Amino acid sequence: MNSLQMTVISTITCTVLAFVFAYAIARLDVPLKGLFKFITLLPIVSPPFIVALSYILLFGRQGLVTKQLFGLNIDIYGWQGLWVVQTITFFPYAYAVIYGVLKTTSVNLEYAAYNLGASRWQVFKDVFFPLCRPGIAGGALISAMSILADFGNPIVIGGNFNVLPTEAYMQMVGFFDLPAAAMLSTYLLVPALGIFIINRRWVGKRSYITVTGKETSLPPYPIHRFVKWSIFAFCIFVSAFVLAVYGVLFYGAFAKTWGYDWSFTLKNLHYVFAKGTEITNSIKFALISSLAAAVFSLLLAYIVQRKQVGINRFLDFLAILPGAVPGIFLGLGFAMAFNEKPFMLTGTSAIMILALMFWNLPTCYSSSLAGLQQIGTSLEEASVNLGAGNFKTFKSILLPLLSGPFISGLVVSFLRSVTCLSVVIFIYSASTSVGTISILSLVQNGEWGGASAFTVVLISIAFAVLAATKLFFRNQGKSYDL
Amino acid sequence: MFREISKKTAILFVSIMLVSAVLLAGCGKKAEPENSATSAPSAAETNAPDDSSAKDSGKLVVYAALNEDDIVQIQKQFKADTGIDIEYLRLSGPGEASTRIVAEKNSPKADIMVGGSVEFYDALGQQGLLEKYSSPNAQGLDATFIDPNGYWQGWYMGVLGIVINTDRFNKELAPKGVQEPKTWDDLLDPHYKGLFITSNPATAGGGYIFVADQLFRLGEQKGWEYLQKLNENVHHYTPGAVDGIKLTATGEFVAAMSWAHDIVKTAKQGYPIKVIVPDDTAFEVGGAAIVKGGPNTENAKKFIDWLLTKPVQEMNSKSSNRYSVRKDVAPPEGMIKLEDVKLVQYDRAKAAEMKADVVKKFTEMIGSK
Repeated sequence: MNSLQMTVISTITCTVLAFVFAYAIARLDVPLKGLFKFITLLPIVSPPFIVALSYILLFGRQGLVTKQLFGLNIDIYGWQGLWVVQTITFFPYAYAVIYGVLKTTSVNLEYAAYNLGASRWQVFKDVFFPLCRPGIAGGALISAMSILADFGNPIVIGGNFNVLPTEAYMQMVGFFDLPAAAMLSTYLLVPALGIFIINRRWVGKRSYITVTGKETSLPPYPIHRFVKWSIFAFCIFVSAFVLAVYGVLFYGAFAKTWGYDWSFTLKNLHYVFAKGTEITNSIKFALISSLAAAVFSLLLAYIVQRKQVGINRFLDFLAILPGAVPGIFLGLGFAMAFNEKPFMLTGTSAIMILALMFWNLPTCYSSSLAGLQQIGTSLEEASVNLGAGNFKTFKSILLPLLSGPFISGLVVSFLRSVTCLSVVIFIYSASTSVGTISILSLVQNGEWGGASAFTVVLISIAFAVLAATKLFFRNQGKSYDL
Repeated sequence: MFREISKKTAILFVSIMLVSAVLLAGCGKKAEPENSATSAPSAAETNAPDDSSAKDSGKLVVYAALNEDDIVQIQKQFKADTGIDIEYLRLSGPGEASTRIVAEKNSPKADIMVGGSVEFYDALGQQGLLEKYSSPNAQGLDATFIDPNGYWQGWYMGVLGIVINTDRFNKELAPKGVQEPKTWDDLLDPHYKGLFITSNPATAGGGYIFVADQLFRLGEQKGWEYLQKLNENVHHYTPGAVDGIKLTATGEFVAAMSWAHDIVKTAKQGYPIKVIVPDDTAFEVGGAAIVKGGPNTENAKKFIDWLLTKPVQEMNSKSSNRYSVRKDVAPPEGMIKLEDVKLVQYDRAKAAEMKADVVKKFTEMIGSK
């Protein structure tokens, strides 16, 4: 029951937050958009257990903000704290999907509505919002699944508030009861299935097509100044919150003793230099697995949405499923499944990549599917009528139109793979260890300064890789948004 | 009955998922040739040594539930002393190490599991996953450190302690007339309400040993009364035994229960904390064991022998602040002498036997909080 309530309230706040951010960035003419985009990526890039330390330091009972600044004595351990932390952690996933859709939604219909004399509110309610439905549904679905399966946040900040993944972890580590743990994690599939069905019902069979090949590009219809600036203020507030959390982390990387003596030191960076292989492994596995997940999920989404094969619904569900299993069980499943011939993969890079790829599948898939639902079939029909084959149509018509959702899925997957811990914890071996494993070791060693330094380096590298790919695509003449 | 059925359903579910995972994995490779191309060479690379591993491979695979710097030190010294390379995997606890060994039982990857309380080793031994071995170097050790079944070897010892944040204690509790805690009973002082944390016996080895400690110290009934009263003061139960130290060091809480050696370690980093080892405290025996069917079993035996030698025991006491199992090794710096610690009569066999029931009862108790 805990799990369900938590999932419902966190999903709602995640989706609202994601929608506001996506709307501000895609539609409004406001300053600091670059900052907002950055804010929507940061929470994805960081292992939860280290960020949780920042939360405690800032908002804990001796927190810098809560106690020192406002003299409050609030208790963040428990469901309220978890709610806030999960909202911040998972709204970026919903954002990625919603933004991908908002950006490509044509404004023509809105103009038509205004010309017919509709009020701003009517247009929003009856034209704009319904068109966003696949995006909102996809975003909500992906964050709901992630929240349901979230393990890192509840274990650090949940206090005595247990959810299904932490219960299952206790069964596994505390009692070695793998079957009971497996059973608890299958219980997770029941609410997951529920969420999935509600979601697909809500999106339904309606048409969301706004990409028809007949667009004229008009600027978005300006909205009321008051609304615009309230949205802006809201985004600033959230951004400040996220920045504070990461600011503490960044500062901690250069502090003598984490949370106590804040004098400057560079000694924490020594821990990072000793771990070159782990960092390259992180980047390598993340790149390959996210690329694989993005390509695979695009094909999958195409099959499900366009080709009416009998097992569509099942495939659709299967693509979302890995998102509902806590990473730690996904990893353990892989460890058990691939430890026998003919699938002897334990300890190899292949198993790391495969596991990460599956873990990323739901994110990429949701974003591709939402994108596909917007594109009218007329363009493809035209292409086929002109003699292009299925493959050619897919490649030269759909692919360019889908590059937005495709790349946002890819980027999110890449970032979350770099910082993923739960999936790999049971499958890494000495030669395939990754950065997050080192961070965990440092945290457990009590070297929080070293752990923060490592996290900061990992985040910087991830962003550097992103910037490099962006530059590469720009040189290729295909610019895209991060 | 219901449990039986749902377990079966669960297993069925999981198998379906795994089968589909395998199927999809196949598709995934086809869809993205780069994936299989990149991973194939590394797969071959990692598998190769396994196939050629005869008796004397010059290698040893260790699953270590130890701190990173401790296992690094062991790796270096073992290479220097025996010429054997250790390939280690640091895991965050004996529970995680055990789970891995269970998951890999059809083709074991590790030769040695080391670190963590021996209760975990008993469970593995009962499942037939460990190789029996008694080291010649274990002669003369206290019987506490020897497994009667011959599966594991005790090689260090730790005691439970209380950590207090001296800054907060002196500012908030001392003016109210609260003395520094000297016994476990002192923690029942209502002034600690919401300021004390400890670990969950379901997930933390130390958490369970603490609970068992109270049951042995006070007897079954009074022990539970104690835990119930303490529960009033406990803010929350953390998943790992060391978590409480962090949270006390940064001043989030005033006092916590944890391993004395880990508290000393954090104190050495400069935090305003202090370790107290109360009377009637409990201890853990840290284990090491040979994984059955591992690739380098001969080297594994050499490792166990080596671990018990005097220089190695001294090295470990110094780096980890844990007590040695050898009587001729001095106690670690910053720790009180073992002779001065008043230990509770801790019945390990009974503790292991009653664990499932105790944890269940405990979970119910805190659930009704």
